[in-house]
Amino acid sequence: MIKSTKSSGVIILNIVSILFAVANVFPFIFMLSSSFKVLGKIFEYPFRLIPDPFIWTNYINIFDDKYDLLLWYKNSFVMVILTLAFKCCIVCITAYAFAKLRFRGRDFLFILFLSALMLPGDATIVQRYMIYKTLHLTDSVWALVLPAAFDIYFVFLLRQFFISIPHALTEAAIIDGCGHLKVFYRIVLPLAKPAIVTMILFSFVWAWNDFTNPYIFITDTKKQMLTVGMAMFQASRFQDYGLQMAASALALVPVIVLFISAQKYFVQGIATSGIKG
Amino acid sequence: MRKPKKNTGWSLARQEEMLGYTLILPFVVGFLVFQLAPFASSLVISLTDLSFISNLEAANFIGLDNFIHMFSDDKFIGALWRTFYYVALFVPGVITVGLLCAMLINARLLMRNTIRTAIFMPYVSNFVAIAVVWAILFDVRDGPINSLLRALGVSNPPLWLIGEHTVIPSIVLIVVWQNIGFFMLVFLAALQNVPSELYEAATMDGAGRMRKFWRITVPLVSPTTFLLTITAVITAFQNFGPIQVLTKGGPGQASTTLSINIYQETFLQYRMGYSTAQAIVMFAIILCITIIQWRGQKKFVNYS
Repeated sequence: MIKSTKSSGVIILNIVSILFAVANVFPFIFMLSSSFKVLGKIFEYPFRLIPDPFIWTNYINIFDDKYDLLLWYKNSFVMVILTLAFKCCIVCITAYAFAKLRFRGRDFLFILFLSALMLPGDATIVQRYMIYKTLHLTDSVWALVLPAAFDIYFVFLLRQFFISIPHALTEAAIIDGCGHLKVFYRIVLPLAKPAIVTMILFSFVWAWNDFTNPYIFITDTKKQMLTVGMAMFQASRFQDYGLQMAASALALVPVIVLFISAQKYFVQGIATSGIKG
Repeated sequence: MRKPKKNTGWSLARQEEMLGYTLILPFVVGFLVFQLAPFASSLVISLTDLSFISNLEAANFIGLDNFIHMFSDDKFIGALWRTFYYVALFVPGVITVGLLCAMLINARLLMRNTIRTAIFMPYVSNFVAIAVVWAILFDVRDGPINSLLRALGVSNPPLWLIGEHTVIPSIVLIVVWQNIGFFMLVFLAALQNVPSELYEAATMDGAGRMRKFWRITVPLVSPTTFLLTITAVITAFQNFGPIQVLTKGGPGQASTTLSINIYQETFLQYRMGYSTAQAIVMFAIILCITIIQWRGQKKFVNYS
């Protein structure tokens, strides 16, 4: 008797969790399905999963020359690649110095940098705009790349990771006559690969999805990023939902592909470090 | 702790020190330009009447006038309350749903990996792409949600994103939905560290499910809950992106929070000194809440 109520409870829990998961991805299903529908069928009730008629025109139309979507797509990719390159270099060498080198003022500087995590980005938008304008960074990809490269959060995480690499290992190499740079390249970086991959994945997603920074710092339509570009596109084509759905689906492709193929690193990265939201 | 280095001579230690400074130099420069300079200059500008469209030289030092004016400014006070309302809905929402999802995944049900992926997917998604779908789902006249509600017999379904009273809860719902995955994974890691013997012992003692949840799960994950609450508060205050994408602060002023108000004061009203003073107040509020949380944690957080 007890056993049967327990197993029926498990079945109910299974059904609830599956229903919840389906409800959770429903916006994505709706997006994909609607992007193949004719306008009149998008609001059809009840919702039909398989479009009838099934059309490709939305995907063909968004590549039309009169929209800048392809250009924004390219801009976003360039920005993300530059961000990753700069961030990896700067974060890795900074974290190495804080983890494995001794110099005066090290701990004080580290705490000082960490305190910047308390500064909410939204509170300094105006001043950042002023400073970037003075430095002639506004309306350029560097207004997004450079600030993102100095990421104290990942300096903190990689420093923790570097510290966990046994000191005996790096010390022995130094005594054997290896320079610090060689230790860094040959020993520390290869061992820290999982942490670095996690950093690259999260940084890709954050840079690709960033709305606020390009919205404030870039005004030239031709230099705009995909996120803000899509918001403009939506405002100008506000009746053409099928077209918007197709554009949204395409904007999600890079991050979804990245996430599905590297899910392990995302999950471990969050589980072990509690990466910020 | 690292062991003191063997006696390898003064020059080697000196070399190490110089290398250390060289390696952190780029970061120090970046920190000064992109973090410290904006913050320090905002402290100064908040004491002036600087306008967005005039030069720095044209600004006058006006002391604390901006801060005094703020508290008789209905637009600011309204934005402040709406921000608190937003935070008060978002933080408990995302913490509760995140913990419940983590427990669901931890219960070793069928297809748990697929379900975990499904819950996490919104977190990596582009908010602008998501927002357009939600705008359609929430469409008052023809959207699927209201069509469903009407079919269920609700004659006056909610106005969602265009209703004065429903707009903030609707935005919070979407932002919580996007963030659950992150909170779920952090909670999941904490749950997996709870020793299963504790639950077994409690079962032997005849404890029910609710009792086990309140007496074992909640206290043992409380350090995680504490850190996630601080993360959630900071996330909730930084709501410019989602609100600007979804409603631009509307209808009317109904979703104009502090960060939206700061943006509007600067880029639409050109009152830069004033908006900067508001940004400092926002920063001070976040700082106070965080300090209160650190102080209060001793009472509620179980580190044993």
